[in-house]
Amino acid sequence: MTENATTTTSKEPIKASEFDPKFKYELIKMHGGEKLLKCYQCGTCTSDCPIARYSDDYRPRTILRMANLGLKDRVLKSNTLWLCAACYTCTDRCPQDVEVASVIRVLRNLAAENGCVPQVFKDQASCILESGYAYKIPDLRIKKRETTGLPPLPKGNPESIRKILKGVSFMKHVEGSKGETNEQQ
Amino acid sequence: MSQPQTPTPNAQPPKEDLRVGVFVCHCGLNIAGTVDIKQVTEYAKTIPDVVFVKENRYTCADPGQEEIRKAIKEQKLNRVVIAACSPRMHEPTFRRTVSEAGLNPFLYEMANIREFASWCHPNTPQEATERAKDAVRMAVAKARLMMPLQTIEVPVTNKALVIGGGIAGMNAALDLAEMGFKVYLLENTQSIGGHMAALDKTFPTLDCSICIEGPKMVDCGRHPNIQIFAYSDLVKVDGYIGNFKVKIRKNPRYVIPERCTGCGECRDVCPIEYPNDWDMNLGTRKAISVPFDQAVPLIYAIDKNYCIECFKCTDVCGARQAIDFEQKAEEVDIEVGAIIVSTGFDVYLPYDMPLLGYGKYPNVITSMEFERLILAAGPTGGKVIRQSDGKKPHSVAFIQCVGSRDKNKYPYCSNYCCMYTLKHVVQLKEKYKEDVEVYVFYMDMRTPGKGYEEFYDRARERGANFIRGRVSRIDEDPKTHNLILHSEDANLGQPIEVEAEMVVLATASIPKKGSDEIARILNLSRGADGFFMESHPKLEPMDAPTDGVFYAGACQGLKDIPFSVSQGSGAASRAATVISKPKWKIEPIISIVDETKCRNKTAKCGVCQDKCPYGAIRIEPNKAAQIITASCHGCGTCVAECPQHAITQMHFTDAQIMAQIRSALEDKPEEKILAILCNWCSYAGADLAGTSRFEYPPSVRAIRVMCSGRVDREFILEALRLGAGMVLIGACHLPYDCHYINGNYKMKARTDALKGMLTKLGMSPERFRVEYVSAAEGIHYAEVIKEIDADMKALGKEKIQAETAKLKPVLDNMLKRWKK
Repeated sequence: MTENATTTTSKEPIKASEFDPKFKYELIKMHGGEKLLKCYQCGTCTSDCPIARYSDDYRPRTILRMANLGLKDRVLKSNTLWLCAACYTCTDRCPQDVEVASVIRVLRNLAAENGCVPQVFKDQASCILESGYAYKIPDLRIKKRETTGLPPLPKGNPESIRKILKGVSFMKHVEGSKGETNEQQ
Repeated sequence: MSQPQTPTPNAQPPKEDLRVGVFVCHCGLNIAGTVDIKQVTEYAKTIPDVVFVKENRYTCADPGQEEIRKAIKEQKLNRVVIAACSPRMHEPTFRRTVSEAGLNPFLYEMANIREFASWCHPNTPQEATERAKDAVRMAVAKARLMMPLQTIEVPVTNKALVIGGGIAGMNAALDLAEMGFKVYLLENTQSIGGHMAALDKTFPTLDCSICIEGPKMVDCGRHPNIQIFAYSDLVKVDGYIGNFKVKIRKNPRYVIPERCTGCGECRDVCPIEYPNDWDMNLGTRKAISVPFDQAVPLIYAIDKNYCIECFKCTDVCGARQAIDFEQKAEEVDIEVGAIIVSTGFDVYLPYDMPLLGYGKYPNVITSMEFERLILAAGPTGGKVIRQSDGKKPHSVAFIQCVGSRDKNKYPYCSNYCCMYTLKHVVQLKEKYKEDVEVYVFYMDMRTPGKGYEEFYDRARERGANFIRGRVSRIDEDPKTHNLILHSEDANLGQPIEVEAEMVVLATASIPKKGSDEIARILNLSRGADGFFMESHPKLEPMDAPTDGVFYAGACQGLKDIPFSVSQGSGAASRAATVISKPKWKIEPIISIVDETKCRNKTAKCGVCQDKCPYGAIRIEPNKAAQIITASCHGCGTCVAECPQHAITQMHFTDAQIMAQIRSALEDKPEEKILAILCNWCSYAGADLAGTSRFEYPPSVRAIRVMCSGRVDREFILEALRLGAGMVLIGACHLPYDCHYINGNYKMKARTDALKGMLTKLGMSPERFRVEYVSAAEGIHYAEVIKEIDADMKALGKEKIQAETAKLKPVLDNMLKRWKK
């Protein structure tokens, strides 16, 4: 991930016109986002986050800050949003009972609705929809299985999976993902 | 003013023959286990003037005390020396014992042979015994020169004056009045109530300020024991604890209080309006009016700066004839036994911070102005509106620490601004919900009170934006008069620009204008921040350095309403400890002036007055310095500072201390460390070294004074003249530990200069040392003595003796007044 892809290291001041003060009110109405306003930016979430330890940019505290301030575009287009491993350590540690990981999930859903899903996740999603597998297995590898005498892979059931995912409006999120993220891969 | 009875400076010890009795305590094995009691008693018998020596297993127990009483009577003892524990432990006990036997309690002295010998030198019993013998000899040396002293009593006027009728002062006055004391409540504005009366709601409960304060104001106005002097100034205070004479000036209202019914008909006909400063000048009042409707006392006043003398008010007042255009200021004299200072604070108006635009941009206001806007009874009827267009703002930014925590303005935290801003935030958000966006620019959010953090939660939950960063600059959009605030969002690590339709500045609270005048009149000192200094920051937070004067509320340091109320009650209770007594007792360990020696009679001197931390010395031209006995705390700083040696501290006279020094250095002075320790910190620290059994070299001989400020140059010179190996002065830690405010500083200034001189004359610099030891630093004291002992051994006897020989002629000359 390159440096200019992140929101926090931009040199320009954050301008008043970038705020959407109503954004936080939207978020607290969503399941998982209810306690967002209680965040007082202590950074406990970031301190014990296993991703933050290996990433220069991923900071759960910063994501909550941007959400609270109403920097809607920045936070939804931020690709660090997608680095969360959903281990829920942050939620566990938060002294204000903010469900940090859930807030991030809420933000991802919003990002997806706005078409801000990184290509890698889109590919993954279409793969699941097409084959039932999260990853497309290359032909070369299937051939190799045959030559080494391994049995063929079980067949996925994309129809059933599609049915289930439709029920949880997964399709909407993925199919809405026509917009670009600011990810530069 | 007549002075309470003081001892006379020329009092000499009674001319009778000295008959000293020495009582040596075993303290079980505490002393006897190390110190050879037999040797000490046998030695004591050889000391001149000692006529009776007795050992006791436990001197402090009843049988031990009985033996002392018996010996005083049977042996006709006129001095008693008790060699036992620290005087900090049992001095009061034995003072009682000797006085029960008919001996003046100031004719007895203690030799500390437990904390200062057996406990700290357990492995060198012979040296401990030598130290104990020396301690007894030193105590006898002092005892010979002791004088009988009487506890001084002054009568007490059982009334109090409270200066300042804010919430703290009102509470103090009400509490004292309820206790049954007559209280004068002095207020310089037209109504009591203070700042609290101008507030809308109070945090964190959001109850209406005037609704809870109003009844207290009325109580003050109605209480038979409270007399309010509103619109009056403090002119002069004379006297001392229990006996203050106060002059008050009642400013003319041009309305006769007894005749004014407070009906307000005059106000209705008055054609003149002027800005009401009580409304932060946002509203107006009439030329004849009260500042606000709930004013107590409800007496109208005419402002002659605005009155056009149309006399419509006189006409409408009619037969009541309450208006008197000829009224003059009137001076009133009152007498009180105690004074409570509760003068409060002022609010800083940041006209001199142009980057924030206060006074330049119409929509930048202070929190106090916001308070008047959101208050239903305020000039806008509770509507928060912008000055530029009269419209409700849809975004409001609050800026914290304006002027506070700023080295170029007011370096301290103003205590309650975080909380009142949170209150404003909650009020706005609960009133206008999502229709108003709120930004709070803060550096630290400080919510340490009961229910305060929960209130901060409430503000966040209502959706206020807290931006960690100080606003560096505000720009105004000239068309909309909206404001652009430039700050950093420290949490994002990025500069941020916020646009707001209104900006509220949480400005610093500052010392009340006129505090310097109050300080001068009452002889109070002010800290670096300008607020009044208390006697002790932890244990005497309500006591002024002037006895009989107490503090309540923000004048001593900024505090919010609950703390001001508590301190008001606290100050009332402190004042009651004085005025509830018919007489006030004063320890006779005070300073007295020998009028024949005082230089101020012939020349302008006043050194003592400058150095006295308590303002207890009065200097008038061509008269000897006068010590206000009741104000003297007995530190002895003036004694050490007097260039003419005209001042004596009773019970710690120059002669007594010099005798102790000489006695301590009688034998092998070059092997001894002479230590002079202040009673409250370093002596207590040395005691603790003993109690904790920290072992240190037994070469030290310690003398107790009340304050290091008492340490005269001559003491050090005499010790060195006699060839003392090392000299140590023990004091309380700088800057605030001194029990007498700043005696340690006075000692430091004095000894710094002296050390320079002695070093130039050829003294090795390590031979004279000043150490700051707290009562908790037993280990530090032991380490210091170890270091000094090591230094002494490193210098060697020969070097010390050689230096003494070199210094002696100069020192002899400097000490020639002692040659008799």
